Amino acid sequence: MEDLKERIALLEDYIMKKCLWQFHSRAWDRKTQNENILKKATQLLCDESVELETPADRCYWADALSLTEAFHSRFEWLAALSKEDIKQLMEGLKERIDFVTITGSLNAELTDPRY
Amino acid sequence: MPYHEFECSKCIPERKKHAVVKGPGEDLTHALPLGYLNTIPGSISERGCAYCGAKHVIGTPMKDVIHLSHGPTGCTYDTWQTKRYTSDNDNFQLKYTFASDVKEKHIVFGAEKVLKQNIIEAFKAFPDIKRMTIYQTCATALIGDDVDAIADEVMEEMPDVDIFVCNSPGFAGPSQSGGHHKINIAWIKKKVGTVEPKITGDYVINYVGEYNIQGDQEVMIDYFKRMGVQVLSTFTGNGSYDELRSMHGAHLNVLECARSAEYICNELKVKYGIPRLDIEGFGFEPLSASLRKIGLFFGIEERAQAIINEETARWKPELDWYKERLKGKKVCLWPGGSKLWHWANVLHEEMGVDIVSVYTKFGHQGDMEKGIARCEVGALAVDDPNELEGLEAMMTLKPDIIFTGKRPGEVAKKIRVPYLNAHAYHNGPYKGYEGWVRFARDIYNGIYSPIHQLAHLDISRDEIPVGTGFQTAKMLSDVNLSEEVVSSTTLRQYTGKYDSISDLRKKTYPEFKK
Repeated sequence: MEDLKERIALLEDYIMKKCLWQFHSRAWDRKTQNENILKKATQLLCDESVELETPADRCYWADALSLTEAFHSRFEWLAALSKEDIKQLMEGLKERIDFVTITGSLNAELTDPRY
Repeated sequence: MPYHEFECSKCIPERKKHAVVKGPGEDLTHALPLGYLNTIPGSISERGCAYCGAKHVIGTPMKDVIHLSHGPTGCTYDTWQTKRYTSDNDNFQLKYTFASDVKEKHIVFGAEKVLKQNIIEAFKAFPDIKRMTIYQTCATALIGDDVDAIADEVMEEMPDVDIFVCNSPGFAGPSQSGGHHKINIAWIKKKVGTVEPKITGDYVINYVGEYNIQGDQEVMIDYFKRMGVQVLSTFTGNGSYDELRSMHGAHLNVLECARSAEYICNELKVKYGIPRLDIEGFGFEPLSASLRKIGLFFGIEERAQAIINEETARWKPELDWYKERLKGKKVCLWPGGSKLWHWANVLHEEMGVDIVSVYTKFGHQGDMEKGIARCEVGALAVDDPNELEGLEAMMTLKPDIIFTGKRPGEVAKKIRVPYLNAHAYHNGPYKGYEGWVRFARDIYNGIYSPIHQLAHLDISRDEIPVGTGFQTAKMLSDVNLSEEVVSSTTLRQYTGKYDSISDLRKKTYPEFKK
């Protein structure tokens, strides 16, 4: 379990320092971004097919692929994980990113109904 | 993350919640500075006003437009000397600035008549320019001048002209950021969708939140063109008024400065279904990732990769020459809004400097989230600082250099801290691979300037070493470097031209088959 937490922390640190997609200005946008990009990233890491039907899908996928390429190049231990382990890891990562950027965020503008 | 209370601001207790220190093992949910609030009375802010944010940051970089302030001439202060958003039409928008020259009598009797007279006069003086933006200012907003009605009257009388009215007087928000918001929303409501897009390529983007500071936009456009990507419009640096009316025709919105322009991207997504991709033009790794993502979106990632490989091979040895000499130098990263997060991590990673403080003059809490997430533990993050807080932070943190605007920059010089202009740059452009090396060179020259070393000596107090000769920057920077680094045959100083933009304007680009 400690191992899982440490690994999630490493992935979280990468996302927080290198990515911007998780920081859209409103809670609903952050939710959609986190959900779609991390879902597609999980599919890519597990060699599953990824939906690319709409322009929005392609945009999420571009961010997701860029993320998974960076994960692979930085975290060699990722290659040794089973698909089950990867799914567990990415679930934990999503919970953590949702917490830091949405549910636990102190940003008072997240719930402003207008852009 | 404990809040940080400045000694100088103890008499303004509300200021305490505007500064935090990033603590070990803590995240953004522990503490976040307040942001985008009215400046607390008693704190002399470094902010600009909402009119300034609308006109001088976002409106005026549009190049083929007469930009007219409806107010006193003083409101047009920010022009050629203070702003550096250049354009490829001989900088028309910087060279000429217009105001309706409102005086006391107009405040008493109304200024609509003088406004109309000025609009017509300006169009007659520049018959080749058929587009105009008009900015409401404090005085004319307070007397209730109906600028829209006057603009409509003129457009009826002169059918070949088009006018955009921006109602963002100085008091319409806590800072310039209020003006960014107002002009974004006004532009999409009034102008987007009023011109048919001219689509010439298979892959079409709007380049949003880019202001062509010393040529930044032209550097990035060069990469896009080399990828075969059509830039339908740039919001707004070096951008054209009519192209910006056709933003609805793009396949993708590529966003750089989210602080000033995410509103229009979000609205374009809602209204026209155009996705928003946040990118970064600063730093080798973020820029490479950004070009690759645009390539992936369109399925042309190999074109992006070719540019990344070529540019990295050309410029990385020069970046690394500076990195060796900048490692461990302490930086206060004190820009206006977006650069605290664009630069915080990549400066540390690619130039080896330590960011000891980030601040934002007009950023929102979202900017602080990104900035704090990207800087290292121990950094001091401050929202809307005042001059005394800036001085106290510099006295305490003892930075080797600060990146900020020219007003706080001059204050820093007085206590012998060198500064680089984070808004308008020193010797930009700073975007692009070459631009990032130019930035590294400016940092190097700022820190190791022999003149700056002399500034540390106080002739009324210190003994002046008259027996030693003059030292060069390289003598100062290389004193503790290993022989291997000093005599490296791969690392080298910047070898680009003084002007890195003019050649781009003459370039021809390959045509790609679909």
